Amino acid sequence: MMNSTNNALEVITLVESKYNVVKTEHISKYQVAFEVIREDIHSMLNFLKNSGWKQLSYLSAIDWPEEDKMELVYIVFNWDKGVHIQIRSKIDRENPEMDSILPIFPGCKYYEREAHEFFGIVFHGNPDSMKQLILEGWDDIPPLRKDFDPRAYSEAHFPQREYTETFIELNQQESKQEKRAARQAHIDEVRKGGKK
Amino acid sequence: MQELKLFLGPQHPGMHGNASVHMFVEGDIIKRSYLLPGMLHRGFEKGMERHTWLNNIGLIPRVCVVEPDINEMCFAQGVETLLGIEVPERAHWIRMIILELARLSIHMMAYGGIGGPTGLYTLMYHAHADRNDILNIFEKITGHRVYHMYIVPGGVRKDLPVGIEKDIHQFLDSLESRYAEYRDLGIDNPTVRARTVDTIMLPESVVWELGVTGIGMRSAVGKEYDVRKVMPYARYDQVEFTVPTNTYSDANNRIDCKLQEILQSISIIRQCLAKMPEGPVRVPLGRGQSMRWTVPKGYAYSVVESSRGEFGYFMVSNGGTHPYRVGVRGASYPQGLLGIEKYLPGTRIDDAALWVDTMGVCSPEIDR
Amino acid sequence: MKSTKFSELSQEQVDRKWWEIGDFFRRNSLWMLMYCTGCCAIELPPAMTSAYDMERLGMGPMATPRQADILLVSGYLSLKTLRRLIYTYEQMSEPKYVVGLGSCTINGGIYHDSHAVINQLDQYVPVDVYVAGCMPNTEAVMNGFVDLMDAIKHKTANGWKKYRDNYDWYRQNQIASLGEVEVHDEFHE
Repeated sequence: MMNSTNNALEVITLVESKYNVVKTEHISKYQVAFEVIREDIHSMLNFLKNSGWKQLSYLSAIDWPEEDKMELVYIVFNWDKGVHIQIRSKIDRENPEMDSILPIFPGCKYYEREAHEFFGIVFHGNPDSMKQLILEGWDDIPPLRKDFDPRAYSEAHFPQREYTETFIELNQQESKQEKRAARQAHIDEVRKGGKK
Repeated sequence: MQELKLFLGPQHPGMHGNASVHMFVEGDIIKRSYLLPGMLHRGFEKGMERHTWLNNIGLIPRVCVVEPDINEMCFAQGVETLLGIEVPERAHWIRMIILELARLSIHMMAYGGIGGPTGLYTLMYHAHADRNDILNIFEKITGHRVYHMYIVPGGVRKDLPVGIEKDIHQFLDSLESRYAEYRDLGIDNPTVRARTVDTIMLPESVVWELGVTGIGMRSAVGKEYDVRKVMPYARYDQVEFTVPTNTYSDANNRIDCKLQEILQSISIIRQCLAKMPEGPVRVPLGRGQSMRWTVPKGYAYSVVESSRGEFGYFMVSNGGTHPYRVGVRGASYPQGLLGIEKYLPGTRIDDAALWVDTMGVCSPEIDR
Repeated sequence: MKSTKFSELSQEQVDRKWWEIGDFFRRNSLWMLMYCTGCCAIELPPAMTSAYDMERLGMGPMATPRQADILLVSGYLSLKTLRRLIYTYEQMSEPKYVVGLGSCTINGGIYHDSHAVINQLDQYVPVDVYVAGCMPNTEAVMNGFVDLMDAIKHKTANGWKKYRDNYDWYRQNQIASLGEVEVHDEFHE
C-alpha cells in the first residue's frame, strides 16, 4: 500500500537533522529507534506529534541494574506513514524521575501510572501517577525491577501444596482386571439361566 | 440530587471479564466513573523474563484469554525480527488462517455479548453455538480448544491435518448463510437499535486524544487504519480485502463494522486456502539444545491487528537465553482506562456495559 | 416393610430426613454465581449456551451471590480477586459449594512462582470439587458439576460446614497472605 522502506529512512533523516541523537537503529522497514538524551524527549515528542505521529502506542521502562540506569521507552505511531518510532532514554536508577508527557499525549496517563507502580519512576506533572493501579496493598519493591524475586515472594506469602511421595496411590486401587472377570462371570451365569 | 455509588462488576453478568467499573451517579446519569483493573494481574511481564525463549510459548497465549493467537503471533514476529530469520511461505498462510479464525471467534463472542447488556439472550445463544464450531476446528488443527500454542517463533508447530480444508469450508459456508439472520437478530432489530443508535459517541478528536485503535478508531475516522493494511505482516499484502469504516461512531455503527469484518475474514480464509503453497512449515531458531538457544541483542516492537486494535509486544534481548524484558501493549488500554474515566460520564448507567462491549475492553490484557 | 411413625423418630433423624429431601432438590437445581475470576471462565459460555446446554443438568447462572449455590472459581486468583472472592463467599447463604476449575486453583499451575497469584485455594476457602486442566475443556467442566451432584448426594460436599467450624484457621490464612481482607479503594471511602 505504501512505500514504507523510504518512510523509515525519511524519518531518520528528518529526526537526525533536528536533534542530537545518541544512537539510531533501523530495526525493520516499519520500525525506527532513537536513543536520545533525557532533555530532548519532550521537544522531540512534540515535534513528532506535529509531523503526524499522533498516537502514543506504548510507554514503559527497562531496568538495567548493571549500568545503574533505568531506560524509558516511548513508542509513537503514524497511521498514514506506517512507521513506529521508539524513543529511548536512560535515567538515573536510584532516583528515577521524569517530567510527564501529559500535555503532549493525554493518553499517557495510565501508562505512566503503571510505570510508577512497576518500576518506581516518579512522573512530575501527572496528578494520579502515585496512586496504585493494578496491585493492591503492595509491600515490597516495585515488582518489575530486576532485583525483585517473585519466587521468593510467592514462597514467603502463599502456602504451597505439599505432595507426599505416595500421593498417587495407584497400587492400592482395586484391580480392574478382577472386576472385569467378575462381571464376565456374572454375564455368563445369567446367559446360562443361573446355572453354574 | 444525591450522589450514589454503583458497581458494575467484578461480579456482574453484564461485565466482560473480571474488572469493575465504579460509578458515581445522580439519577441514572453517570457523574464520575473509573475502571478498577488489576484483578487479573498475574505478573506476566516478570514471568516471561524467567522463562527461556521457547518456554515462553506456553505462557504467552494466556495473556489475553479471548484472543490467544494474537499474542502468539506478536511474540513469534518479535523473535523473528530480533533473529532476522524468514519464515517458510506455507507457515505465513497457515498463520493467516489461524488468525482470521480467531478473529471470527472473538467477533462472534463480542457480537453475542451484546445480548447481555441489551437483554437479547437469543443472540448470545446463537453466536456462542457458532463459536463452538470454530473451537472444534481449532481442536482438530492444534489439539486445544482455547490455548493453542500453535504459532511459534520460526513458523507453526505442525502442518494442517489432512482434510481440514473441508471442515473449514463447511463452517464458513454455514456462517455465511446465517449472516443475514445475525443482522436481523442483532443490529437491525428495533429493540437493539433503540439501545445502540446514537449512544456512546466517539468523535474523531477523542480518538486521537485517547489513542483508541481498531474498530473504535476506524468507525470514527473513516480511513482504513488497520495494521493489516498499513504495515502488512504475514501475507496480508497478497490477499484482497477491505476494511469496513465509518465516519459516525456510535455503538450501532461499531457493531456494524464488526459484522462486516466477519464477512471479510471469511473471504480472507477462503483466499488463503486457495493460495496456500506446499512446503515446510517451520525453521529451527538455532542449533543444539533448544533450552540454550540465544537471541541477539536488540529491541523490537512487533504489532498485530487484534479485534480491538493495535496489539503490540515490546521485546528486549540482552543476548541471553531468556528475554530481558517483554512489554505488552494491550489494545484496550486507552478506551478501557482513560476512556471510561473521561468520556463515560454523561451517559446513562446501562450504557456502561455497552461501552465495555462495543469498544472492546478486555481486562486480562490490561492487567497482564 | 414396617412403616415408621413420624412421632417415633428423634428430632435428629427428622432433621436428617429433611436434609436428604432438601439435598435432592438442591442437587437438581444448582445455581452458580457468574463470577468469572480467571481464564477458565472462557469455557463457561459454551457450557451454558446451546452447544453443551448446562440447563439439562438443572444448572443455571445467577447474578447475585445471595441466591447462588455454587461459587465457581474459574482459574487463577490474584490477591485483588481473592479479597473480593472471600467477600462474595461470605455473602452466599448456606449451604454453599465451591468448585475450583483449572490447575491454578490446585497448586498455582503455570503461575506457581508469580508474585500476584495464590497457589492453593483450599487454604482460604474450602473447595468441594476440583477440575484439573489448563484449561479444562467443556466436557471436563460439566463432569465436575456431575461430581459435585454426587458429592451432595453422598453428603461429602460439606465445605461450608468446614468453613463455619474452622473459621479462625481460614481467617488466619487469609490474613497471612493478604495482609488485610477488607477492600480499600477510592470507591469504598
